[in-house]
Amino acid sequence: MASALSSLRYGDSLSVVAISAATAVLCEAISWLLIYRTATYNSLRASIERHSRKLDAMKSGGSSSTAAASGAQPAGGSSRAKKMDRVETSLKDAARELSLAKLKSGAVVAAVLFVVFGLLNSLFEGRAVAKLPFAPVPLVQRMSHRGLPGNDPTDCSMVFLYFLCSMSIRTNLQKLLGFAPPRAAAAAGGGLFPMPDPKVN
Amino acid sequence: MKKGKSSSSAVARKHSHPQNGHVLPSKLAKYLDPDASLDKDQLLDAVHWIRQVLGLVCGLLWGTIPLAGAVWIALFLTISTGIVYWYYTFLLKIDEEDFGGHAALLQEGLFASFTLFLLSWTLVYSLAHF
Repeated sequence: MASALSSLRYGDSLSVVAISAATAVLCEAISWLLIYRTATYNSLRASIERHSRKLDAMKSGGSSSTAAASGAQPAGGSSRAKKMDRVETSLKDAARELSLAKLKSGAVVAAVLFVVFGLLNSLFEGRAVAKLPFAPVPLVQRMSHRGLPGNDPTDCSMVFLYFLCSMSIRTNLQKLLGFAPPRAAAAAGGGLFPMPDPKVN
Repeated sequence: MKKGKSSSSAVARKHSHPQNGHVLPSKLAKYLDPDASLDKDQLLDAVHWIRQVLGLVCGLLWGTIPLAGAVWIALFLTISTGIVYWYYTFLLKIDEEDFGGHAALLQEGLFASFTLFLLSWTLVYSLAHF
């Protein structure tokens, strides 16, 4: 197999993909060990999903009732709005706590990725590991042609290939294993640095 | 006659037995059935995986032929978006407003599928033609 790989001009690309895939699996294993299997994470995730479903139900119930009786029950409408605000706030708080809970594993995963990137860089620096079937725009070329000799824009550096691998493999692996963050958390904007609520002046 | 027809079609839908006799797994069949009520997460997951499969297939195809040039990226994006739009508008016949609008549905899984497409296209192109 090694001889078959070495006979391919761009056989290094397969090595980069294999190392990226193995790193993705390792990172998810670390994340599972440190965070996904803990009761805190699971209860926060369940809380986010519960609040999100509640909010969706209130929004759809509210839109149908306002269509049916426009302005007939203003008091009911304002109490519903207050309830929705409370549920939204709870959702954002839970999403923020989830982000904080993932910090620890995030730091370890970042360290692993840093080491792997350094290793790949030392192995493939200055070498084109693949041939791009298109000429990237100049902004992308800064990554795709990084550290490569010559001016051929279709030469692909390890950095760009690793980036493509990370984005595609890791995202889909998380999704497949059920480790992807809940959509409601992202929609609530409840990250570590939440945006100010536009409703509050 | 009508009663017989409707009951037989209901049975066919229930057991996911199309006329050619092949059995579709019921889990997969609900993602192709306009009468099945998918929730938002289920629909978005379906759209995500459709995008990933399209990205992989197009990348492998573009790399095998081979197709070279940035214009083929635009073709992939058009095909991928068109198929997703056809899926939820004409196959499932859903009201996109109930699921966050066209933007939410069309952007689900887009970046991951785009990177998967570029990766598979580049790999096949590099390994098969050089």
